[in-house]
Amino acid sequence: MESLQVLVKAGIYILMAAGSLAAIGAVFFPNLFYAGLSLAGVLICVAGIYLSAGADFLAMVQILIYVGAVMTLIIYAIMLTNIEEIKVSHLGIKQILLSILAVSGFAVLTASAILSIDWRPLSGQNRLEVHELGAALMSRYIFPFEVLGILLFAVLIGAIVIARKDKV
Amino acid sequence: MDQLFVNLKNMALHLIGVFAPDWLVSLSSILISVGAMTFLGIFIMMYLTLMERKVIGRMQNRIGPNRVGKWGLLQPVADAIKMLTKEDIVPEPADRLLHFLAPVMIVIPALLIFAVIPFGRNMTALDLNVGLLYFFAMSSTTTMVIFMAGWGSRNKYASLGGMRSVAQMISYEVPMVLSVVPVLLSVGSLSTGKIVEAQADLWFVLTPWGFFACVIFFLCGVAECNRSPFDLPEAESEIVAGFHTEFSGMKFALFYMAEFMNAFSIAALTATLFLGGWQGPLLPSWLWFILKTYSLLFVMMWFRGTLPRLRADQMMGLAWKFLLPLALVNILAAGLHLYLGGPAGFASALIILLGSFMGLSKVNRSYVPEKREYVLAD
Amino acid sequence: MLFGMGILRGLGVTLKNFFASYYKKPEEGGLFTVEYPEKRLPVKERFRNFPFLVYDTTPENMRCVACDICAKECPPKCIYIVRDNDEAGRPLKKPAIFDIDFTVCMNCGICEEVCPFDAIYMDHEFEIADANRLDALLYNLPDLLKPNDYFQKIRPNDAAQVDARRLEAEEKKKAAVAAVKTQAAAKDIKPE
Repeated sequence: MESLQVLVKAGIYILMAAGSLAAIGAVFFPNLFYAGLSLAGVLICVAGIYLSAGADFLAMVQILIYVGAVMTLIIYAIMLTNIEEIKVSHLGIKQILLSILAVSGFAVLTASAILSIDWRPLSGQNRLEVHELGAALMSRYIFPFEVLGILLFAVLIGAIVIARKDKV
Repeated sequence: MDQLFVNLKNMALHLIGVFAPDWLVSLSSILISVGAMTFLGIFIMMYLTLMERKVIGRMQNRIGPNRVGKWGLLQPVADAIKMLTKEDIVPEPADRLLHFLAPVMIVIPALLIFAVIPFGRNMTALDLNVGLLYFFAMSSTTTMVIFMAGWGSRNKYASLGGMRSVAQMISYEVPMVLSVVPVLLSVGSLSTGKIVEAQADLWFVLTPWGFFACVIFFLCGVAECNRSPFDLPEAESEIVAGFHTEFSGMKFALFYMAEFMNAFSIAALTATLFLGGWQGPLLPSWLWFILKTYSLLFVMMWFRGTLPRLRADQMMGLAWKFLLPLALVNILAAGLHLYLGGPAGFASALIILLGSFMGLSKVNRSYVPEKREYVLAD
Repeated sequence: MLFGMGILRGLGVTLKNFFASYYKKPEEGGLFTVEYPEKRLPVKERFRNFPFLVYDTTPENMRCVACDICAKECPPKCIYIVRDNDEAGRPLKKPAIFDIDFTVCMNCGICEEVCPFDAIYMDHEFEIADANRLDALLYNLPDLLKPNDYFQKIRPNDAAQVDARRLEAEEKKKAAVAAVKTQAAAKDIKPE
């Protein structure tokens, strides 16, 4: 059985590497459509990592919402605004130093957060059933649920108002 | 007889287990399932094209293809050979990478859906805990790929067709997901295997909310596959084959394959969710499943042979103004039926649903101008 | 049901047609496909394809006298006629060469209309396709000759009319010959 586990581990590492490569591509591709597709690739790889960690509901919802809806929106935006390729403007030395400072600060923050977490798997029952999730949403987390509903409602109304034909 | 395929697979695994280590046996268990799914997908798609042509031909007072092999049974083979030997034309301004990737990436979700379909008792390839959500996730990735295909062709008709197709697909996803919610209310789990087992006493289609949910789900599924009467994005007289205009040969064959595999998945899932899956009295379970799925596919072909195409605004109107409110009312009715239980619940659900159906059809009546009076000059 | 009744009725029509296609005969509205080449529709009598030459009893009794009218009247000029000569070089009333190039012939039927000797008529044979582009469709005199029985079989009404006409002409000729003979006989008797 160890060989099977080795295969599974290798698959997870491949998934992580593909996700990182796609993220680099999403930032560095000059062709905007390729960058959007690389972003979709990143999101799918993240969903795969969720699956490998046992959060199957979250992985499916990630694909359904991020890749199905958000990426469609981003790609529509790319297509409708008719953007040409991204040209990298000339960078001065001050900008380079400032960006190195910002990125290193963020890296230190992230690294300290990652290293301070206890990464051993939780013992006992840690797989959440879907109906437990639903019950928790309705009882303990009801307030964020309703707030999200109102937020989506506001978004819908805003979209309808923007898309309406002006009264002649 | 009922567990024929399961026993075959177990025999094969025993054979392999004689001379191979443990991990190879589990790996080959996975590979046998995956290989069976893939082979099944392609085989189903090939003979679905033949079935469609013969069924539509009979409805139109003509015989379908019957020259290649008896009853035309080798026609899909001839079609495959034709598509393989066609020249693969990539237009010059088109994006080569997108043009190459789009047909590949549209078949992948179509094949992946086959993993959660319960083909019979104990015959689901992958009985996930979130099987139904997996299906919706896979069909939502198809929208992005269709847009990729339309945009990568650098063709006005293709991008227009791609946009229309994406708009149609995302509009019809909403009532589709909502119409499945009553089933979840009743069963309590997203796993397709458990949904089928919960229908052992009563198929969901025989309840008032189940009937409406089945019709809504089936109509939305037909729209998701871009089939008639919702095939505006890819109809020849409308937009010169829409998003797959610039794809020839094997690439077109892959798009065609993905469309039929999606159609099969929709029919299979409707049978699973509402018609009782593989439940049935006498015959083996996989035979019941095949019968139900293929009768739903016959209904899809029946729609194609009968109904004219919907216009774009009519299609969107149907989704947002009719199916969506009906699906929401359906959830309410299902809740009443399950909470009150017995005849009171049944009657109240039926009354609410029929009332809202009539109300919505009155609201959605298209505008018919009144008869004009002609006063002719002398 | 306000919203779907028309659709359901339409669906009913096609389903009825689907099942009817299996048992209804073509006259009642079932399938009327004729599966060529296993079955063939019979052609009508006046269907005209390429021409053929008629002979009465043996191929030597062909009706054609090589008058060259059909070759002159043919619009694409696909007929080529050379009159036969006997041993002494005097012309005979028979063609030695009668070629029709079927790749040129346009099946107009003018040669049939202008022939004064009821010799050339339009055939019904249309399955004469060949792979050879150059010589296969150049039909010579032996290929074109077909008996009068064949003509009666494929075009019974026209053949009956033609035969009646020829019979009447022969009767008249016989009567005229008989009249001349009796007159000659009467003249012979008189001077005696």
